Amino acid sequence: MENAYLQVEKHHDSLKVGLRNDWVFDNVSDLEEATASVVSSDGLPVIFQCGGLQDIDIAGAWVLYDRSQQLAELGIKSDFEGFKAEHFKFLRNIIDMAAIREFDEDLDDEPPPRPLHGSIERVGQNTLSAFEDIGFIARSILDGTRRPLTLILGETIKQVYETGVRAIPIVMIMSFLIGIVLAYQASAQLEQFGAKIFVVDLASISILREMGVLLAAVMVAGRSGSAFAAALGTMKLNEEIDALRVLGLNPNQILVVPRILGLVIALPMLTLFADVAGILGGALIAIGSLDIPTVQFVERVKYASDMNDLMVGLTKAPFFAFLIAVTGTLRGMQVEHSAEQLGRLTTTAVVQSIFLIIVADAYFTIIFTRLGI
Amino acid sequence: MEPVVRISNLVNRFGDNVVHDGLNLDVMPDETLGLVGGSGTGKSVLLRSILGLQKPTSGEITVLGQRIEYLKPGPTRHWGVLFQGGALLSGLTVQENVELPIALHSDMPLETRHELASLKLLMAGLSLSVADKYPSELSGGMRKRVSLARALALEPKILFLDEPTAGLDPIAATEFDKLVNYLQDNLDLTIMMITHDVDSLFGTCDRIAVLVDGNAIVGTIDEILEHDNEWIQSYFGVPRARRAASTGVRPDRA
Ligand SMILES: Nc1ncnc2c1ncn2[C@@H]1O[C@H](COP(=O)(O)OP(=O)(O)OP(=O)(O)O)[C@@H](O)[C@H]1O
Ligand SMILES: [Mg+2]
Repeated sequence: MENAYLQVEKHHDSLKVGLRNDWVFDNVSDLEEATASVVSSDGLPVIFQCGGLQDIDIAGAWVLYDRSQQLAELGIKSDFEGFKAEHFKFLRNIIDMAAIREFDEDLDDEPPPRPLHGSIERVGQNTLSAFEDIGFIARSILDGTRRPLTLILGETIKQVYETGVRAIPIVMIMSFLIGIVLAYQASAQLEQFGAKIFVVDLASISILREMGVLLAAVMVAGRSGSAFAAALGTMKLNEEIDALRVLGLNPNQILVVPRILGLVIALPMLTLFADVAGILGGALIAIGSLDIPTVQFVERVKYASDMNDLMVGLTKAPFFAFLIAVTGTLRGMQVEHSAEQLGRLTTTAVVQSIFLIIVADAYFTIIFTRLGI
Repeated sequence: MEPVVRISNLVNRFGDNVVHDGLNLDVMPDETLGLVGGSGTGKSVLLRSILGLQKPTSGEITVLGQRIEYLKPGPTRHWGVLFQGGALLSGLTVQENVELPIALHSDMPLETRHELASLKLLMAGLSLSVADKYPSELSGGMRKRVSLARALALEPKILFLDEPTAGLDPIAATEFDKLVNYLQDNLDLTIMMITHDVDSLFGTCDRIAVLVDGNAIVGTIDEILEHDNEWIQSYFGVPRARRAASTGVRPDRA
């Protein structure tokens, strides 16, 4: 029997396995397969003849060592023959390490983990997962995913969850309160003219067109824009970004792109939730305090605002999201020397993205007015 | 012999500050080259240029025959880097940190990957009891060892070390030097090491490159000690360095 890496010859007193070609890292999977086929059915000793090896490294030597250990467990003796000195040192190294390892394991024959230990570990994990920035992608790689597209997609979904889903409660509460404030302020003015039904118009239109998306965007800028800058900045400071590049990963691809994509998906969604909560806030005042019947309120909302108003708000969301994500990641990547700079740039990221949102909103208002939407 | 790293006519300029001025440097196979120079002479910038993390003003760098381009993947399968601070991924355990490069570049079975990573941890002088810890739970010296294990994960042909002994106590630093020598002898590695530590320089390096005035003065330890450059004289002339020179030279290399 033979293949690219070994050739097995059966002799009357032994099984001779001639090794050849490159026993190196890149071929480990094939080597594992090849060595697994080395079996000595009648208990004859196996002799690995190593003179024909072209090249070997630690990974290749480990496969060889591992097979000889497995054979030993089956009660089959194995031996190495004809090793060149420059090749043998790799095997010797592994044998040395195995000895150290045994000694090591004898030393800390730890008792099995106690339950308390486990729960502390879990808490630690949760805390970490809140902060870990490469962890998710790295785990996907460790699980065997190597296609960049799949990695980016996975991380994007995670970002949608982190920046969007987790922000739903706070965004809804804020918007609900603003809905109340709007309706209340409007009613104070409009009741004087006996035009309290217009409270509904004012609240619903301003929430759908402006307040919903603005609130969500400002919240996300504070919550996620800063998180992006801090996360990437910290990784920059720790040289983690450099380490990724040296390993052949592109940080822009796996860290920046998913954050931008994630936010562009998350913010429109958050805007919808903000709209609903804001109108509910308005409804609370209109129905509860102004005694507008529920049916009339609903009719009035339908009459006063239409799909256009909703779409005006929703159209702005992805643009705002883009501004926040780009500002946050860019500022994070600009961190170079110090923790102090990291803090400063994180603040800058939030301030600038909120500023940009407001400026963009002004432009949008002008454009929409011109277009008569 | 083809050099493993070839730097030709490297120029790095930041505004008026000329850091490298037509620097040439070759790192030969199987040698340990120490890179020294005063603060701000551009050691880190040089390493970052070699790794493609910094865009040189001009000049050409090849590593293992591959031309290095800014932010393009270099010979990622064949080099290992120990960054100054370790640069471990904080969200991953020690074991996962070492396994990541393997997972990224090989489809070997999980079991094998696990074993190889453990082996690298042992080779870096760590006990396997640290495998499930997070980097933040380790001491600075241990982090460096983990980072070294990660750098060794892909069986690199060349290893870059950025101030590996900085911040270690003298005993730990000597241990680390021994480790570097052990690896160099056992793994057919070429090593390029930035250091401020004269003991470490004499204890591990075959040749030394000194950065002076934007260029590199390269030679064996003896040649460098004889050199009449002022900075070299004052750097190696200090009593600490002299003592290191008389005691620290690797017996097998002397
Ligand atoms: N991104 C940059 N922008 C401007 N100047 C820079 C930049 N990076 C490095 N420099 C300058 O280049 C010079 C060399 O810096 P470098 O960090 O390489 O020094 P070094 O030799 O590593 O010093 P040390 O021993 O202190 O680490 C310094 O004067 C530094 O100010
Ligand atoms: Mg430096």
